Amino acid sequence: MESTLEETTESGTPENQIVRAIGIERFYGEGEAEVRALDGVDVTFEKGIYTSIMGPSGSGKSTLMHILAGLDRPTAGTVEIDGVDITGLDDGDLTELRRDKLGFVFQFFNLLPVLTAEENILLPLSIAGKTPDREWVDLVIDRVGLDDRRTHRPSELSGGQQQRVAVARALVTKPAVLFADEPTGNLDSKSSEDVLQLLRAARDEFGQTVIVVTHEPDAAAHGDRLIALRDGHLVHDAPPVSADAVIELLKTLA
Amino acid sequence: MLSLNLKNLWARKWRSAMTAIAVILGIALVAGTYVLTDTTTQAFDEIFVKSLEGTDVAITAKSEVDQEDGSTPSLPAKYLERVRRVSGVELAAGTVFTPGAILDSEGDSTGGGFSPQFISSTLPEELESLDYVEGTVPSGAHQASLDKAAAERSDLGLGDSISLVGTGEAQPFRLVGLTELGGASFGGTSIAQVTLPVAQQLAGKQGEFDQISVSASPAVSPEELRDRISEVLPKSVRVETGTENAERNADDIREGLSFLTIALLAFAGIALFVGSFVIFNVFSITVAQRTREFGMLRTLGASRRQILRTVLFESFVVGLLGSVAGIFVGLGLAQGLSTILKAVGAELPANSLVVLPRTIIVSLLIGVCITLISSLIPALRSTRVPPIAALSETIAVGGRNRVLLRSILSALLTVVGLALIAEVLINGSSGGSAALRMGAGAICVLVAISIFSPQLVRPAASAVGAPLERAGGLTGQLARENSQRNPSRTAVTAAALMIGLALVSFVTVFASGLSSSVDKVIEQNFKGEIVLQSSGGFLDFPSNAVTVASGVDGVQAASGQRFGMAAVDGENTSVSSIQPATAAEVVTFDWNQGSDQNLTLLEDDQAIISEGLADSQGVGPGDRIAVQSQRGAEREFEVTAVVAPGTLDLTGELIVTQETIESFFGFDADSSALVKTAPGADVDQVQDRIKDKLEKPFPTVDVLNQQELKDTQQDQINTLLYMIYVLLALAVVVSLVGIVVTLILSIHERTRELGMLRAVGMSRRQIRRMVRYEAVITAVLGAGAGLIIGVLFAFLLGIPLEEDGFALSYPIPTLIVILILTALAGVVAAIYPARKASRLDVLEAISYE
Repeated sequence: MESTLEETTESGTPENQIVRAIGIERFYGEGEAEVRALDGVDVTFEKGIYTSIMGPSGSGKSTLMHILAGLDRPTAGTVEIDGVDITGLDDGDLTELRRDKLGFVFQFFNLLPVLTAEENILLPLSIAGKTPDREWVDLVIDRVGLDDRRTHRPSELSGGQQQRVAVARALVTKPAVLFADEPTGNLDSKSSEDVLQLLRAARDEFGQTVIVVTHEPDAAAHGDRLIALRDGHLVHDAPPVSADAVIELLKTLA
Repeated sequence: MLSLNLKNLWARKWRSAMTAIAVILGIALVAGTYVLTDTTTQAFDEIFVKSLEGTDVAITAKSEVDQEDGSTPSLPAKYLERVRRVSGVELAAGTVFTPGAILDSEGDSTGGGFSPQFISSTLPEELESLDYVEGTVPSGAHQASLDKAAAERSDLGLGDSISLVGTGEAQPFRLVGLTELGGASFGGTSIAQVTLPVAQQLAGKQGEFDQISVSASPAVSPEELRDRISEVLPKSVRVETGTENAERNADDIREGLSFLTIALLAFAGIALFVGSFVIFNVFSITVAQRTREFGMLRTLGASRRQILRTVLFESFVVGLLGSVAGIFVGLGLAQGLSTILKAVGAELPANSLVVLPRTIIVSLLIGVCITLISSLIPALRSTRVPPIAALSETIAVGGRNRVLLRSILSALLTVVGLALIAEVLINGSSGGSAALRMGAGAICVLVAISIFSPQLVRPAASAVGAPLERAGGLTGQLARENSQRNPSRTAVTAAALMIGLALVSFVTVFASGLSSSVDKVIEQNFKGEIVLQSSGGFLDFPSNAVTVASGVDGVQAASGQRFGMAAVDGENTSVSSIQPATAAEVVTFDWNQGSDQNLTLLEDDQAIISEGLADSQGVGPGDRIAVQSQRGAEREFEVTAVVAPGTLDLTGELIVTQETIESFFGFDADSSALVKTAPGADVDQVQDRIKDKLEKPFPTVDVLNQQELKDTQQDQINTLLYMIYVLLALAVVVSLVGIVVTLILSIHERTRELGMLRAVGMSRRQIRRMVRYEAVITAVLGAGAGLIIGVLFAFLLGIPLEEDGFALSYPIPTLIVILILTALAGVVAAIYPARKASRLDVLEAISYE
């Protein structure tokens, strides 16, 4: 196990690496009460690869994603996105980074109730003051299957549909990396499958880099690469074989 | 439950503190008003008690009709001899106490701008209440004393010269004594004393007294002596013991101050009314946000009653703490108000602040009750939360939107409100109860609009938000959407502001109408180019000044006028006299029945009446009308002509001859005079010549041209207007606090949304702008609605006044400025919430539950 880990954490050539995290540590609290959420994690992500991050509760998987996405700051270590060290950026630069380079899909959809589906999808462009590329927008909306739901408000959509809006919103800016935090955590199995298919399609059809944090084996099985964490350490990094194999892996971690 | 309640309250301490502001400001004005008026009343009580020390019985003339300047008729001197002959009278002396002007050697007044000055006569030592702390009692024709405080204000000492002005020319005196009234404070008022004959001559009261003071011999009680004296004097004379007299005077002051009390309390009421909207909103939002918590409590077995008690307990504590804080702020306010009054020259007599138990009880009661009532509906709503709410993912906000019920209720209230207002307007009733009904009507209409306003928020916010969307794009659109997503919340927040702004625009439009109406009267009815009047409202106008002015080169006619109050059919009626030969030359009379000829032909038992009086009494030329004088005498006058309104402000409702107003009505001093310049004469030059002639003998007479007269009228109206603005500002501040709290609570509710917006790339600046725009939309909604309602009310109230020559004018630029200022106030209100929203930690915000 240890040997395969050494080989695969450095994946791809440097110019092909879109996210590089080196020596990431994240501690909470002090002294006796200190919690080591991440205790020295090195990991890089290649362009156009779909990576799943797994681990039991408290393993540090969400913290890792938050730090990779510039939503949280590591206690030590550096994170580079597209060649830029983001650990030293101020709020303004981080805002720019999120605008231009990152897309997010959350567990609780997080749509604006006052906007229609299409307006929600266009939101990142509107915030940045960019003119939408109509062709691309239509393609994305069509691909997520919401062409006939454009003018609906979130309250008029099912959970699955809302999450598909969220996926479209993340894709519309053609981000360097799309982060998804438990994207199926709040959905039934049919809707979960739809959303996972979409994320997979984003990688297959648009060459989108996707990083998904999940604790569901089915979700993890969709990816090119599966990373597992336990107690703040990276303990597994290999392509997933099947959902059953993932379940077995999780058992060993727990 | 109690400890849970307290913990909950503590957890929401900032929200509770902000809510309390809604109570604090209103209660501060309530408490401040009481403290200020109680303090003043007590100081006056002390003045009256001290000034009657040694006087067992006080004799004054009764006034059957209250005069606008508060003056009372005088007594014939012959009564003094009769009183002295009554057995049991130890000592009796007549005295004069008259408004006048006290000037230093430079001719400058020794008093503040609005403070009255009095000239009184000395009394025998036993009856004298003033203590001579320096120098001696005036004894010669050119000796005078002054109260020490006034002397110190004007840097005057013994031996300095001063001049005193009564109803005649200014006369020089030497200061021989300084007085005090047993340590009591007069406020800004000053008193000069001279000997009795001098006082009588200065006041034009030769052979008359204002009061006869009597001390009783040891064997007789004041009451006994009072009864004995009243037997020898006519009914028109009031005989009282010293204590009774002091109490009556104090009561008069109390009555005079009660207007101030009521006016200030009315403004406090407005602030509290607005505050109740804020409280209602905060509790509505809090209850909505705690839905899951209430559901959880219900699953744990809490009863509806317990939930209700939880919410009401919170509101009780907020109301109580707010009221207590309000009382303290009120103390500061009272101190501040008297300091301001002192600064503008209207110093009230005051010792230390008087806080009566009544002040505290009323303040606490009002504060707590208003808070409880305002939170009652949200509290009842909280009891309807079902236990299942504990488990539901989405938080159900607010109650059902019962449009029909809302519309019916609102329509009903509008009808009741308008009916109340219409009744007062149509019947033309006046006085306190009419004002009360009018106010109740206005409140009904405002509440009706507030109830219905959630229905209006959507279209109105779209209209107001349109320019912001054009300017701000997405942030503008989101701000507009946010203001529309919970219409009743926006509506209540805006309605609070609407009330303040409705009143602001109402008084603005009304005052502007008043100014332009006064200007119109002056333009249309003043043929005379120059007006002579007393500076300050307390002084009589020296009649001789008219004679002097008539002799000035370039003056064609100078005509004096006298005013006073009499009674017709029990109603107070203004009566004026004219100089028949010159009246038509200086005033344009708008004759209804009659002509200018009637002026020159007017005889002593005849009267010219106004159209209003003719209508109410059903009389016309040739009929007779019975009039009661202030002394209580009644006489019938033959009506010879009727004048239309318009001239009314200048001439009063009843015009009689100069002889009649002096002998029958008892007004022997002119109020003002109008001057007509000769054809071809230069008005400015004539004005200067009159000034030169009058300056020395009549230093208190102002010589104004028409423009200056308009300006002084304008100044008076504006002073009042600004005072009202300041008091209304309190209500506006409360409603702005409402915007702040509502925004903070809404932001709290939208934490996750804001986190997402930040996550997908919205900058802090954009977040701030979004919040700011939402505040501006709410502020402009409230201000716009308020302006429309205020102008409408002014229009309605103006209709019945049109008959009296009142014409509304709409100060559009001022109204626009008010609208812009309110929008800016919205920006200011958004500063803190916007900062709070933009500082949200993105990670915490998106994982926020």
